[in-house]
Amino acid sequence: MRRFLLRRLLHALIVVWGVVTVVFFLVRLTGDPSAFLVDQSATREEVAAVRAQLGLDRPLLVQYFEFLAAVPRGDFGISIRERRPAMAMVLGHFWPATVELAAAAILLSTALAIPLGIVSATHKDRAPDHASRLASLLLQSMPSFWLGLMLILFFAVQLGGLLPAYGSGTLRHLILPAVALAAAPLAQNVRLIRAGMLEVLQQDYVRTARAKGAPERLVLYRHALRNAALPFITVTGLSLGFMLSGTIIIETVFSWPGLGRLLVQAVPGRDFPVIQAGVFLFAVIFVAVNLVVDLLYAVVDPRVRLS
Amino acid sequence: MMRPTWIPAIACSLALFGGTGVVASQTRSEAVDPEAELIVAMPDDTQNMDPRLGMGSVRSTYIRQVFESLVDTDAQGRPVPGLALSWKQVGDAAWEFALRPGVRFHNGEAFNADTVLFNLDRMFKKNLDKWGIKDVPTAGFDRTYPFVTRWEKVDDLTVRVHTSEPAPTLWDFIGREPMVPKDYTIKSGIDGLNERPVGTGPWRLVEWKRKDSMRFERWDGYWGTRPQVGRLRLQVIPEAASRIAALKAGQVAIIDAVPPLDASVLARDPSVRVASSPQKLLCRLYLNGRPKEAFDSGGRDGLFADARVRQALAMAVNQDAIVKKVLHGYAQVNASPVASVSYGFAAQEPYPYDPKRAQALLAEAGWRDTNGDGVVDKGGEALALQLLFPIKHYGQAFDETTPAMAEMLKGIGIRVDIKPVDFGTLLQTVTKGTLPWNGGFTACRTSNNLDADDYVRDWAAVTLINWVPYPPELLDLYRATRRELDAKKRLALLADLQRRVRDWTPVVPLFQETKVYALSPRVVGFAALSELHMDFRGVALRK
Amino acid sequence: MTFAARAARRLGRDGPALAGLAVILATSLVAMAAPALAPTDPVRNDLLARLTPPMWVAGGNRAHPLGTDTLGRDVLSRLLYGARVSILVGLAAVGMAGAVGVVLGLVAGYYRGWLDDALMRLGDIHLAFPVLLLGVALLSVLGASLANLILVLAISGWVTYARIVRGETLSLTEREFVAAARALGAGDRHVLWRHILPNVWPPIIVVATFSVARMIIAEASLSFLGLGIPPPAPSWGAMLDEGRNYITTGWWLALFPGVAILVLVLGINLVGDWLRDLLDPRLERGL
Repeated sequence: MRRFLLRRLLHALIVVWGVVTVVFFLVRLTGDPSAFLVDQSATREEVAAVRAQLGLDRPLLVQYFEFLAAVPRGDFGISIRERRPAMAMVLGHFWPATVELAAAAILLSTALAIPLGIVSATHKDRAPDHASRLASLLLQSMPSFWLGLMLILFFAVQLGGLLPAYGSGTLRHLILPAVALAAAPLAQNVRLIRAGMLEVLQQDYVRTARAKGAPERLVLYRHALRNAALPFITVTGLSLGFMLSGTIIIETVFSWPGLGRLLVQAVPGRDFPVIQAGVFLFAVIFVAVNLVVDLLYAVVDPRVRLS
Repeated sequence: MMRPTWIPAIACSLALFGGTGVVASQTRSEAVDPEAELIVAMPDDTQNMDPRLGMGSVRSTYIRQVFESLVDTDAQGRPVPGLALSWKQVGDAAWEFALRPGVRFHNGEAFNADTVLFNLDRMFKKNLDKWGIKDVPTAGFDRTYPFVTRWEKVDDLTVRVHTSEPAPTLWDFIGREPMVPKDYTIKSGIDGLNERPVGTGPWRLVEWKRKDSMRFERWDGYWGTRPQVGRLRLQVIPEAASRIAALKAGQVAIIDAVPPLDASVLARDPSVRVASSPQKLLCRLYLNGRPKEAFDSGGRDGLFADARVRQALAMAVNQDAIVKKVLHGYAQVNASPVASVSYGFAAQEPYPYDPKRAQALLAEAGWRDTNGDGVVDKGGEALALQLLFPIKHYGQAFDETTPAMAEMLKGIGIRVDIKPVDFGTLLQTVTKGTLPWNGGFTACRTSNNLDADDYVRDWAAVTLINWVPYPPELLDLYRATRRELDAKKRLALLADLQRRVRDWTPVVPLFQETKVYALSPRVVGFAALSELHMDFRGVALRK
Repeated sequence: MTFAARAARRLGRDGPALAGLAVILATSLVAMAAPALAPTDPVRNDLLARLTPPMWVAGGNRAHPLGTDTLGRDVLSRLLYGARVSILVGLAAVGMAGAVGVVLGLVAGYYRGWLDDALMRLGDIHLAFPVLLLGVALLSVLGASLANLILVLAISGWVTYARIVRGETLSLTEREFVAAARALGAGDRHVLWRHILPNVWPPIIVVATFSVARMIIAEASLSFLGLGIPPPAPSWGAMLDEGRNYITTGWWLALFPGVAILVLVLGINLVGDWLRDLLDPRLERGL
């Protein structure tokens, strides 16, 4: 077990190193931010002076190794546009705004997926199955920004401000963005629950429970769902990355002051320290979740450790 | 302390100056809520509050609530006393600013001559070591206005600025720059200034949630017209449709950056009011006409060096249709290189929309369609424009105008390859001079100054936006406007320069945008300014 | 029962999948016949006819059945031509990503060792990178064009295929028929192409189908971020994005391309669902 753990940790480190290396060189391919710090009528010499002041005229490898040396300290430098420590900015946007939104969306898509998935499984290939699959696929089949705008149009405009179109802070503000973000993973979750239930419902203990005359609801929710849930939990954990990526769009549509919006503005703004810190945080979360999932699996199923 | 009774009168006079759509404050007798919170929906947040990092249009609204400049403006953009009571020339090579007495920053620090000297040091990047501040890497005034030589304190409330040559617009480019506190900046550093800005303005910043909102409280020690609402919140709502939804649902009182079509619809909506004003935003097609020996841009002369070709392009673009159809009238055709609301503007005859004449001009310059492919050519080379298009930066109307213009240019036999780029990429292309020899780009030029000089200076030096430098005779004329101290003579020179620039056509003008706000009927006394920012002094909210 | 008969029987029982297949076929036909069907040139501007509503709404006319957009271009024509772009982007991106992913997955799973380790770590690094951000950064380096868009989408997709194929290959190499082929003296290339590749197709087809749907959505998302296909070329994503500022004043601009994406993507997803049930043996067991 210890060897397995060490190997996984090493992998995690390699992945994080790879991500920060890729982002370091990738952002530098997009140019540099000096042009943003001068006036429209600035001269070339002025731009060059700004570049030098930012240290961007030094050899690339020198910049890279300095950057690598600072990463373990969590020091990603100062945001070029906002003039604040980049990591603090990134964490400030991530917590609570993005976490709140992503958690609400995961909760919502899970809460909807369970009944839909069960109905699908128990009525396989009949109308309720088709309807539930169609409904969840429908939500997956539209661009999330379009869904967001339609939700705004309906709940904030047509219904005269029933729900706010922008902002954050209260539960009412959370509803529309969370729904828009939950839509895409819903279909996948329904499918997983359905498949898991179909398999479990064939098992002997479920048949036994039924044969003993246990109420159907109890059979479904107590006996079957619990066993169908394992692959579902795994995938939900893994789809966290997907979820965080989705916040980039949803946060823009709903003016949600989170990490996604910070990053999507930092890229065209060439705010290198902020992009690097944000992608680093993203990678660390992703890797950590994967590590936990791997470990859980290894605990549940010892064969995994051998592979 | 000022007596509150006369505040409404000031509010009224401010409002009556307003341009179109100003809500006159005939409601003085109506009950207003002096402690209400005014919520204004903005398209974007500012990234920092230091005025030295630039004064773009959205930033200005944030910065000018807190910081003020020596020269203030009225609703028409005319200069009025701000932190300076008056300014005058002293001899041929100096200006003197008489400062307003008794002004204090939000932290109690006094505003005086030392404050102004400190700000001049920052603008021109002098003595920064002496003050022990590590300043931000931005372009300084020292390069743009190298003729400003030194500044001195005459007494506690008088500052004199010396120049090496006559400088008729010094009151403008120095006077419009927001003033930051000296002691506070030295003590807290530039980062303190950015994080917790302390100014002399009517609003004191109390909370800044990045990318979400900035909250202000009325500054009761303000020297001028105090706000008639207790609190102000600038709320970021990037999507225009969401801003409008928030206004209609009563969640915000004023919304910024209303798209033209929505403006024309909202103008007919009795539950909303629309306020608009021409603004200093000139949207244009810039073309590469740089000679290869003057700039190192690819070793070839710019394809658009011949003025006749640029004129042909100007005549091929139906500016009237763009203004009426794409901008729904919330813009104007302006053939002058100067914004219509700038001091020294002289209206110029619009370029006629005349594709036939445009083709004749091209033919005169040697461009004819010799091989019948619909694209004009010369010496075996087709007239092709590589058009960089900064998408999602200037707004929907601009994003629609660029492809519309491209289609119009195709109409006279020019091949146009549109390359959408993010704004940063465009900026880098123009700073590095890597715009192709047959390149061009659409962009909008704004100005933080009141005088026309800021616009006509563009073609005098190698700058980011100078792709067709002045020929010698125009450069001489420009320099003459720069040195003329007699106001009347200077205006005549400026008018002459604008006429000749119009004929020489360094850029193809597309439109001058009108800024549009929509307000809840509860808002009283708000006027749309021709300046970049929004001003909430004197604004009240009905109960 | 043959595979084809089984597939047909399942399809017959699965109404939604049948409908999905019909949608895909219809959209492909429409895309191919766009020049014949479109009322006008999809890029021709007519500012005077700007924002004409659809013909059944007051102010609309027959010349523009679905109205015109902000530059007076015919919405129906742009939709028809846009179908080509959406289908092309989806298929090309998935084809490229699939080809690269399958080859890398085969190599990693078959040869194992350091190559496998390196490729899988590369895949992990890729997955730990926000996909959309990668697209934004790459497109600002490469510049927006149809080819670059396809390239970026393909880059974002290869890992899924590589992982699946690697897993399948790992288990297939343990099976008797592979060992038998080797014992008969077959070379690596022969084993990979003849014995392993044919057996990894089923999951690939399922994943690829859903990927086409995802790529069409991704094209729209990149347009929303300003990195779509350069104007004036019509694409559904670009149309949707152009129309989003007009959802209250020109509802048809965002509605029609939105519905078009919805219907096509839904159709593809339904077919994908059917394929999954058909090809995934785990579910077959559950029948």
